[in-house]
Amino acid sequence: MSGSGGHDATIRGWAVDPATGREGAAEAVVRDGVLERLTWLAGSAAGGLHRAGTLILPGLVDMHAHFREPGNEDAETVATGLAAAAHGGFTTVGLMPNTTPALDEPSVLARIRAAAAATGSPVHVLAYGAVTAGRKGETLSAMGELADAGVVGFSDDGASVQSAPLLRNALAYAGALGLPIIDHPEDASLTAEAEASEGYTATVLGLKGWPVAAEAGSVARSIAVLADVVHDVPGARLHLTHVSTAASIAHVRAAKQAGLPVTCDVTPHHLALSDEWVAGARRWAWEALDADGRARDPWADGALVAAPFDSSLRVNPPLRSAEDAAACRAALRDGTADAIATDHAPHTEVDKHVEFGWASNGISGIETALSVALAAVAAGELPLARAVALLTTGPAAVLGASAGVAPGLREGEPADLVVVDAAASWAPSPASLASKGSNTPLLGRELPGVVRLVVAGGRVAYAEP
Amino acid sequence: MTEGSARPGGAVAGPVHWAHRHLLDVDALTRPEIELVMRTADEMHDVLARPIPKVPALRGLGVTILFYEASTRTRVSFEVAAKNLSADVVNIAAASSSVTKGESLVDTVRTIEALGADMLVMRHSVSGAPYLAAEVFGGSVLNGGDGWHAHPSQALLDLYTLRSRLPGGSLEGRKVVILGDVLHSRVARSNVWSLTAMGADLWLCGPATLLRGYDAWAARGAAGRRFTVTSDVDAALRDADVVMALRIQKERMASGLLPSLREYAARYGLTQDRLRSAKPDAIVMHPGPMNEGVEIAADVASGPRSVITDQVANGVAVRMALLYLLAGTRRTEAGA
Repeated sequence: MSGSGGHDATIRGWAVDPATGREGAAEAVVRDGVLERLTWLAGSAAGGLHRAGTLILPGLVDMHAHFREPGNEDAETVATGLAAAAHGGFTTVGLMPNTTPALDEPSVLARIRAAAAATGSPVHVLAYGAVTAGRKGETLSAMGELADAGVVGFSDDGASVQSAPLLRNALAYAGALGLPIIDHPEDASLTAEAEASEGYTATVLGLKGWPVAAEAGSVARSIAVLADVVHDVPGARLHLTHVSTAASIAHVRAAKQAGLPVTCDVTPHHLALSDEWVAGARRWAWEALDADGRARDPWADGALVAAPFDSSLRVNPPLRSAEDAAACRAALRDGTADAIATDHAPHTEVDKHVEFGWASNGISGIETALSVALAAVAAGELPLARAVALLTTGPAAVLGASAGVAPGLREGEPADLVVVDAAASWAPSPASLASKGSNTPLLGRELPGVVRLVVAGGRVAYAEP
Repeated sequence: MTEGSARPGGAVAGPVHWAHRHLLDVDALTRPEIELVMRTADEMHDVLARPIPKVPALRGLGVTILFYEASTRTRVSFEVAAKNLSADVVNIAAASSSVTKGESLVDTVRTIEALGADMLVMRHSVSGAPYLAAEVFGGSVLNGGDGWHAHPSQALLDLYTLRSRLPGGSLEGRKVVILGDVLHSRVARSNVWSLTAMGADLWLCGPATLLRGYDAWAARGAAGRRFTVTSDVDAALRDADVVMALRIQKERMASGLLPSLREYAARYGLTQDRLRSAKPDAIVMHPGPMNEGVEIAADVASGPRSVITDQVANGVAVRMALLYLLAGTRRTEAGA
């Protein structure tokens, strides 16, 4: 790497471009913010450049993040969220509307955009509008006005649209506007006071069970509603966010095979962690499986190395079994899942450093997502090119062309790329995280992949100090 | 143990070293460690038999008892145990503290420590809460019951009671049945660890709705130690050496887990008739408080096989042993 910052830089590394399907040793030349040249290298010129070294990737897209502004600026602001995004390699973020007030009419969007503009960050901000007014699940939000103002979809994330008739109307109305519904699948009647995924770990720890059926049943319902809506509104689209169970994935896979316009994403924590972490295990989910693909028993095999009940692990949906995490990775590999989305959910100490069952749900994850994906790649759980696609073109395709997100290493356009050293490692700490939320179970853990440089829309978003 | 010495008279010294600063659950205890608790409780039992059942082992140490849930026997038992060891005891009922003003557990524990507590006995309605307290408290935390998760002193006093009642004092191969609301029971969970550690043939029995998740646990066992889960009360009680009934709460009907108390009593209540299929000398236990006529018939609870009042009495000796052993790790650290 040479030059200053990124307006002008020459980078040699292993480039992966899901937009063209090409990967290999390459030299990228950025001049005055424009990706002037991407030269694929061969022979001796490619010497020393490989998949496990310096990577040159299109800027990452996180289609699911919470920046907490307006309303909970103690937990995160648009400014700190954007800094965290850049530090994580993301050049585009999709912000969820569960702010206070909720983003259910255009003035809230204007406020967020003003906050983003004030930061000067080149990270591209997208936003979702709420599906229902005040996210109360009762009446539709100002969907048309929100669409005119530029939201890229609608979500009541944090909760599912519990009313099936209202979901049906929302899918139809949003579909006619050309926008997807991003549903958080959860049947709330099954999750009242739930604390941890129902099963072995929750039973031993005496945590109130969060049944798989709460998610899978909601997924099945929403898909069934979608199947009816598409007869009337062919443009209707349903995206199921943070699916976490094998049962949910089976429903999505069947719906896709039936040709329904349904997509889904998986979070880094649901693909790489499992519920045994709540008991004190700290191995990756793929290390928690035996030779037959069944979850191992951390009480029997000495894997409990940390104190149980760490509230940084309290998240919605909860961390699931190692088998469910394996099903999530299989879905990411085979295309059933379309994207890795962080569900970046920063919280304050006041809300998080409390009893496990009373802690706010969520993991601060936008700065560790790429590292977790690279850990899965290093373990052979995801091909590198697929992992990159899931963090770039995958979510862009879910959002659709109208969102104006087109990740790729294209010559002659403003550079939008991330340079990450896959051979280097780092350990997240409150000091090393740009987010206000240090509520991640990965604190102190050595993670592969150090982000060196992020250029968004031709401007430097992050450069390693 | 003599009145004048700070330590009991040598019998505790042995090959096993007590290394736990906190007692949060029994899952972390090895069999030799459990046996050390039992031997120490034997000594405390001797102390309790004296005219003045008091020793100075914890003199100068502050023991704070912080209960976020109503309790009579466990709270009083810990208080009596700590006072018998000459500790300075402070009792806090959370309803009358700053907790009702919204103070967090972390702040409450820090305040208690600043006020001079060396040991904290706590009960909390949320599973895992004592682990959070242990994270911030500089002394020792004793879990007096957390949510559905654990009640280690109860499990150890149950064990102590069985040891004193079973021929040979051994649980090895003995069929022990825990009958009732296993799902919501921290007593059942802690007993799974301690009873299987001591080699008991453990059976958990109740209506299917109150055994939720336990098949997954039984399939793996407690750190691999097998136990049996069933809704078949006849199979569970057949030739049982020990039957422990658990309290059924009225809320279970409102949440749709049971049709009625009447139906529960008829199908799962521990009656003389039902007890006939157990061994003739089978021991009957209950951690209290009891609903007589629901999970246990009054004549069974007060009958000759019942050790329910022993459980309460033994609770003091076992809790004295636990306080004593934990205070020992404190002395070791201070001396190191």
